[in-house]
Amino acid sequence: MNSPSSPNTNYLLLAAFLLFSQSVLTVSRNLDLKLLRQLNHVGKDDSPTYIWPLPLQYTSGNQTLTVNPNLALFTSGNGGGSRIVSQAFERYKRIIFEHASLKLPTAGVDYDLSKLTILVHSDDEELQLGVDESYNLLVAASNAHSVIGEITIEANSVYGAVHGLETLSQLCAFDYGTKTVKLYNAPWYIQDKPRFEYRGLLLDTSRHYLPIEIIKQVIESMSFAKLNVLHWHIIDEESFPLEVPSFPNLWKGAYTKWERYTIDDASEIVEMHFKLFHIKSAEAFSLSSYEYECSNSVITKIQLLQKIGINVMAEVDVPGHAESWGTGYPDLWPSSSCREPLDVSKNFTFDLISGILSDMKKIFPFGLFHLGGDEVNTGQYLLDFLPVVLITVTTSICRLQDHSMSAKDAYKYFVLRAQEIAISLNWTPVNWEETFNSFPTSLNPKTVVHNWLGAGVCPKAVAKGFRCIYSNQGFWYLDHLDVPWESVYYTEPLEDITDASQQKLVLGGEVCMWGETADASDVQQTIWPRAAAAAERLWSAPESGSSRNSTTVLQRLEYFRCLLTRRGVPAAPVGYAFSITNASEHYLTDVKFEGAYVEEEKPTYKIVTLQKLVSPYGNVFQFFCLKTDTASVLLEASASIQALQDQIEDMLHTLSGKQTTMLTGEKRSNLSKQGIVLSTISRS
Amino acid sequence: MNSPSSFNPDSLLLAAFLLLSQLLLTTSRNIGLHQLNYHGADDSPTYIWPLPSQYTSGNQTLTVNPNLTLFTSGNGGGSRIVSEAFDRYKRIIFEHASLKLPSSGIDYDLNKLTILVHSDDEELQLGVDESYNLLVAARDAHSVIGEVTIEANSVYGALHGLETLSQLCSFDYGTKTVKLYNAPWYIQDKPRFEYRGLLIDTSRHYLPIEIMKQVIESMSYAKLNVLHWHIIDEQSFPLEVPSFPKLWKGAYTKWERYTIDDASEIVDFAKKRGINVMAEVDVPGHAESWGTGYPDLWPSSSCREPLDVSKNFTFDLISGILSDMKKIFPFGLFHLGGDEVNTDCWTSTPHVQQWLQDHNMTAKDAYKYFVLRAQEIAISLNWTPVNWEETFNSFPTSLNPKTVVHNWLGAGVCPKAVAKGFRCIYSNQGFWYLDHLDVPWELVYYAEPLEYITDASQQKLVLGGEVCMWGETADASDVQQTIWPRAAAAAERLWSAQESGSLRTTVLERLEYFRCLLTRRGVPAAPVRNFYARRPPIGPGSCYRQ
Repeated sequence: MNSPSSPNTNYLLLAAFLLFSQSVLTVSRNLDLKLLRQLNHVGKDDSPTYIWPLPLQYTSGNQTLTVNPNLALFTSGNGGGSRIVSQAFERYKRIIFEHASLKLPTAGVDYDLSKLTILVHSDDEELQLGVDESYNLLVAASNAHSVIGEITIEANSVYGAVHGLETLSQLCAFDYGTKTVKLYNAPWYIQDKPRFEYRGLLLDTSRHYLPIEIIKQVIESMSFAKLNVLHWHIIDEESFPLEVPSFPNLWKGAYTKWERYTIDDASEIVEMHFKLFHIKSAEAFSLSSYEYECSNSVITKIQLLQKIGINVMAEVDVPGHAESWGTGYPDLWPSSSCREPLDVSKNFTFDLISGILSDMKKIFPFGLFHLGGDEVNTGQYLLDFLPVVLITVTTSICRLQDHSMSAKDAYKYFVLRAQEIAISLNWTPVNWEETFNSFPTSLNPKTVVHNWLGAGVCPKAVAKGFRCIYSNQGFWYLDHLDVPWESVYYTEPLEDITDASQQKLVLGGEVCMWGETADASDVQQTIWPRAAAAAERLWSAPESGSSRNSTTVLQRLEYFRCLLTRRGVPAAPVGYAFSITNASEHYLTDVKFEGAYVEEEKPTYKIVTLQKLVSPYGNVFQFFCLKTDTASVLLEASASIQALQDQIEDMLHTLSGKQTTMLTGEKRSNLSKQGIVLSTISRS
Repeated sequence: MNSPSSFNPDSLLLAAFLLLSQLLLTTSRNIGLHQLNYHGADDSPTYIWPLPSQYTSGNQTLTVNPNLTLFTSGNGGGSRIVSEAFDRYKRIIFEHASLKLPSSGIDYDLNKLTILVHSDDEELQLGVDESYNLLVAARDAHSVIGEVTIEANSVYGALHGLETLSQLCSFDYGTKTVKLYNAPWYIQDKPRFEYRGLLIDTSRHYLPIEIMKQVIESMSYAKLNVLHWHIIDEQSFPLEVPSFPKLWKGAYTKWERYTIDDASEIVDFAKKRGINVMAEVDVPGHAESWGTGYPDLWPSSSCREPLDVSKNFTFDLISGILSDMKKIFPFGLFHLGGDEVNTDCWTSTPHVQQWLQDHNMTAKDAYKYFVLRAQEIAISLNWTPVNWEETFNSFPTSLNPKTVVHNWLGAGVCPKAVAKGFRCIYSNQGFWYLDHLDVPWELVYYAEPLEYITDASQQKLVLGGEVCMWGETADASDVQQTIWPRAAAAAERLWSAQESGSLRTTVLERLEYFRCLLTRRGVPAAPVRNFYARRPPIGPGSCYRQ
């Protein structure tokens, strides 16, 4: 849970507002089901306000206020002068007042709201896990007590203030009738903070290169849903796009010489340089040529840094998923024909990891660093699974014997040594759950366990005192297109964890946008709107979704999806079982989601089962150079099933009294290619 | 063909450059696809899309200064359209963070871009001179520093020149500089057709303004020049019409609308990128949503399409809409639809049936009457009417001779239309309907607007062509990847000389490169090689091989 500390309660201004607003409020409610229903009701009448994700606590009224397109910003507090705040204000002003009609001169119009005060207590701009993201948002109406209405955002950190601006932007909507921006259901008093401190989205730039412009679009859209960690899975077996100055041959592993990131590109993504006037908004916002030219020169002369409150956690996935490293340094491969995992026997391997991490430390200030450690493949599980079959593992690597290590020991050795490197650089290591499943007692106690395979891992990890990130692939793997939004939404990171102190060890969760079938052309519509469903789970109090009153949630989610499209984000339709597909693509018409959705038929579940079969918990090193992407897993699984069928056939023949085994030479060699040699167990 | 008038031959500067460049050229070729391909395979690729009509290139690689300075001359050189475009392309060419760091003391080969625009007339219309010359002179014994020069008759030609320049440059990750390959370059370019359109449909699904701007911006990368805005249809009426304020009650929701200011902003945004906006008001069919605000437009409340031909109110309202739209859409062509009219409601509704009898008209006569009356309204507002081909197929001799016939049903219509002296726009649905997802890029590419038209004077009556992004299954979430990359295939057909498409492998390679260029610029263009359009990539891999 790790909720940030609440804002300073002594603050006089806030107290005054509270007092003031209490007298004005017409409706006062705490977060409960009635509230949701009321929100729903409000949605249906003429003055909708849909906030996504839902704030922790709020009260609203029934006034409709007009907002001045030339809304003026007043800042106070130690952090009020921060450029992060003023730039965020400009960004949201463009969003709230996007319509051309608002850019025309409007002399003589009286608006209810002309002033926004942002009060930020701390001037510490360091962005880290656990930074105070809470904020209060007050919209006081015009009434007998005050001649003009006021909007006030109060936060302890600038990042809380940015969240407050996002919420404010969602309270406003353009009224096409009067051609003004209106703020509905005022007065508002919102007290908000995230439920979890880690609210992540994984992007994979190895399976497909994502251009910088696309990554920036993703980051910007994350801020709309109050997600706060971009988990950048930069490198994998397919390609190595990142520049590493210490080992300049590494990015030879990129797909092409154009599909790369320089260290400056990476820094830019972390720092998120936003052009002060976005290319598209620039002309749209041609209030005056002076302003345009002014901003334009700013773009070219001073590069403006715009932090929008999103951490970037880099991943270097070792020892598996690293084949592409060897393009530049073939010594990293165990042999040129067997290229994964990284060669555990050479010190060079670890020198290189150390070099990569040192270079990356200069780019990624975030406290967590992901070391992967997943899907190191083997046939070991088959051995347990098929006791009737005698399996001989053929191994081509014998060096392990010198260290009296089993392959499993070497896997542990590798992971722990990589952890040490990360820790020596003052990073907290994050590892995929296989490391915890294989050697829980050996892992560094600082380790954050990153769940993915299925349910039940976080409970085990936090019981042992580890921190945990929840990404159950059955629900939060966005590349699983057959997971509809409800499944994403109703997933619970704290499932099966009842002890409060253990609950606090769950940092949060992350939706994973693996890139095998998602590239620049479809990544955004595969992410959205389902990532938003997870974002509300991670931000809002659990009760807000506890009633399976899905019409309300659905209505709000549909509204949020349209909000994304208005802001230029190509978010997919909400109501289909298969994301990024379209109503009338023929192959989908008969399986279109209409509530009659059959869970058992989910291919995802089948793939998960197969993954467990082929690439299970507690594995040893892969000797067979097997790939671990879904397609390879399926291929391997089908080969294994074929092996079983052959075995059964063989046994049947033997049982029926025929002397010779039916396994022909060809079939035998096919099996031994997989590292499996089968022989019949004698009958007796 | 309607090719723009050729360049002012007096231009001394150009003559000087021509002379100079002749001296420097190491390779000289016309549309040399073999060579271009060769360059693609080696270390210094240059893929231009769409291919210019004439060019020569060399074998030098030049570095480009990230602080490239703009010098303008000519009557139109001071235009803000030019300087804003320069800033846009500077951001595109120098997108990489490494280039934004201070880099004192480095010598670049190219530090200066001169844009020479002869005319200061910024009016954007069909047939505006879009030609340009682009010269990249290398450093050598004759000149100490290299120069880049764009010369154009209009600002819109200069915009195309900037686009081409941006495609000559690419970021070199090794040296972290922007390089211009295969210099020196001399490019003389102009479009094959004056009308190179893309239809978008905001009635079947509302497209937010931000998304429309993204589409317009991406059109300029492929040198398309007409956005055919199919604003209204039977499903929804999103546009504000001040004369008849209830019309946009036919919008899906109160948020899915365009104010007249929104529409003006879109027109203005497009103009700055050299793109015309042709509006469509599709009558008398495809208009059910009109009746939400004015139920009198329906023949009856149970039979709602086509618009009631028997009432003068119908035509008063069309007149009101068009008058209001005239203030927003300055483009000379206006699309009046006229397609897929099912007249059953006219013959089955008593008062319309009575009217038909009174006027001694069949339903087909009434259809003609409606279309011609709408044409008159458009013509009285000084618009050239465009109509879908059914109008021509039904009553070719009655159509106003100014009519531009918009083909869609199949092949063979443009030949018939131009034979009768009408102008024609080619949009054969078998190839150029982008909502047909089973049409791969090759079919789009090899479709030919001048098919079956051999007479040169008749060929000139084909204004060009248009790819149509109908919106039944395309909304904000997938419109861009349904448009791209296939619209680019049509864009080259419409821009480049016919011969340029004769080598398939090269075209694919260049198209893949252009698709990746689009993604780099933030446009979610779909993989090229998938048989079905807009499908995700089938597995991991490079953008340049998908």
